[in-house]
Amino acid sequence: MAEQNEIKVEVKNLNFYYGNYHLLKNINLYFKRNSVCTLLGPSGCGKSTFLRTLNRMNDYTEGAKLTGEVLIDGKNIYDKSVDVVELRRNIGMVFQSPNPFPKSIFDNIAFGLKIHGIKNREFIVERVEKCLKYAGLYDEVKDKLHKSAFSLSGGQQQRLCIARAIATNPSILLMDEPTAYLDPASASIILDLITTFKKYYTIIIVSHNIQQAGRISDYSGFFLDGELIEFDEAGNFFTRPKDKRTENFITSRY
Amino acid sequence: MFNLKYKDDLYKIILSVFVLSVISVFLIAVTVILFYSYPAIIRYGFPFLWVKEWNPPKEVFGALTFLAGTFMVTFLALLFAIPFSFGIGIFLQEYCPLFLRGIFTVIIEMLAGIPSVVFGVWGVLTIVPWLRESVEPFFDRHFSSIPFLKVEENIGYGILAASIVVAFMILPIISSITKDSLASVPKIAKDGALAMGATKLDVIKDVSLPYALNGIYGGIILGFGRAVGETIAVVLLIGNQAIVPKSLFSVGYTISAVLANTFTFAVISPIYASAEVELALILLAVSLIINIVGRNILNKVIGGRFNRSQFGGG
Ligand SMILES: Nc1ncnc2c1ncn2[C@@H]1O[C@H](COP(=O)(O)OP(=O)(O)OP(=O)(O)O)[C@@H](O)[C@H]1O
Ligand SMILES: [Mg+2]
Repeated sequence: MAEQNEIKVEVKNLNFYYGNYHLLKNINLYFKRNSVCTLLGPSGCGKSTFLRTLNRMNDYTEGAKLTGEVLIDGKNIYDKSVDVVELRRNIGMVFQSPNPFPKSIFDNIAFGLKIHGIKNREFIVERVEKCLKYAGLYDEVKDKLHKSAFSLSGGQQQRLCIARAIATNPSILLMDEPTAYLDPASASIILDLITTFKKYYTIIIVSHNIQQAGRISDYSGFFLDGELIEFDEAGNFFTRPKDKRTENFITSRY
Repeated sequence: MFNLKYKDDLYKIILSVFVLSVISVFLIAVTVILFYSYPAIIRYGFPFLWVKEWNPPKEVFGALTFLAGTFMVTFLALLFAIPFSFGIGIFLQEYCPLFLRGIFTVIIEMLAGIPSVVFGVWGVLTIVPWLRESVEPFFDRHFSSIPFLKVEENIGYGILAASIVVAFMILPIISSITKDSLASVPKIAKDGALAMGATKLDVIKDVSLPYALNGIYGGIILGFGRAVGETIAVVLLIGNQAIVPKSLFSVGYTISAVLANTFTFAVISPIYASAEVELALILLAVSLIINIVGRNILNKVIGGRFNRSQFGGG
């Protein structure tokens, strides 16, 4: 039972289709509470699609079909009774390139709180400040909170998006190649954030960068053509992969 | 035999000739208009813009009545068209099932291609009787104390009839640009909001519309450009009397309508003709400025995707 409690997200027999195209094939894996898991794999193998099944972001995609289960805290999120808005409030998502809203820095972070019906101004101000501090951005923006988010640099925008994702106090953070378009210095800041964040969140990251993944992961998974080839603790995964294809990938033969 | 390089150069030369001839036709047109309006500009000066009287036999010319009519019709047409166009654009892009979107888009583009005289005839046959028999009696009964809503002659023709029909004519341009601007909002921006638990309406309100706003402004400005110069439909509907309209239901006149109706006689007297050409000059200046501003906004927002020919003229 203790073992069971450690599991935050469990994926069971997940299949995903774009129309007739069977993309994700019978995926089974679990993510432990307060751990960092990176998902690796060549381009087009379905990593982003998989990540988006975890917060039902494929719901709006034309022709998308899914079978199997995704259990979060033991409850299947594809159950009819699940409120998607409530679900997503509990799951923060950060995207490949920074995508701040066309609003002020302050309003970007307040957005999540507002759409979830929080009106208390003091609470919002406090929360915005706190999230900016967590994301290591506060000192850089504290004098221009009401300027447009687009006035920030790419790295700052990405940290703003991270601050925004944690504003509603989620328990899971999904990140789809969050450092892909950033310079090494900005990327490094974000990797450090991820390491400190696992105290509070269960973090699932899609990455292209094996070195970065090795640096931050507790667990790692390798996808190839929509199949999960290998999933293991990072120590084993990066040093003693069981599958030849995983080994080829982490020694960069794809 | 041409070699490739030589062929390229030849195309370049031929195309340049075409481009240059279009530009020179435009410049010649502007020069001619300036040349012919010059006597009136010198004789009447700036007061031309605010003198009310338009009396060809006495050679007293002021453009105020036409300016007032033009701007009232344009303003009201935009006022009627904008909310509907937004609704149509938002519906088509965000809510319409894919298979219907194509059909509706074609219908709206066809609406843009209908010649304006057909719109005018339709207005005379449907809008005018409707105004005369239902709308005007209603306003006369309930709102006759409000000057702007006073019905002076219950004839159906006038500012309101013209504005309603012009609103239909600019509806396609504003709704397609609203739709295109919404379509050009990056998916990742909308995904960001959805992932936070935003509803579709939240996304439209807080992400898509702010992103699309500049494009939509551009569409409004192009709609303005079309409304301000609209001629035949207005001639058929506005009542064609050179007075400053005091009410929604007044008759009036616009610059383009007076030119269409009287320019053939005006050429008999040089100063009369010159005054009318000056009206044309004002119209040209207004629509040119409006178009340049609108186009710049659009190009910034949706890049080269916008192509005016799609919206025809009439
Ligand atoms: N909306 C869609 N409709 C149909 N096919 C899609 C759709 N989105 C993605 N695909 C296809 O699904 C496959 C997997 O896409 P996905 O974005 O999940 O890959 P990825 O592993 O994240 O790749 P990358 O590393 O390049 O981001 C690709 O072949 C892609 O073309
Ligand atoms: Mg991807």
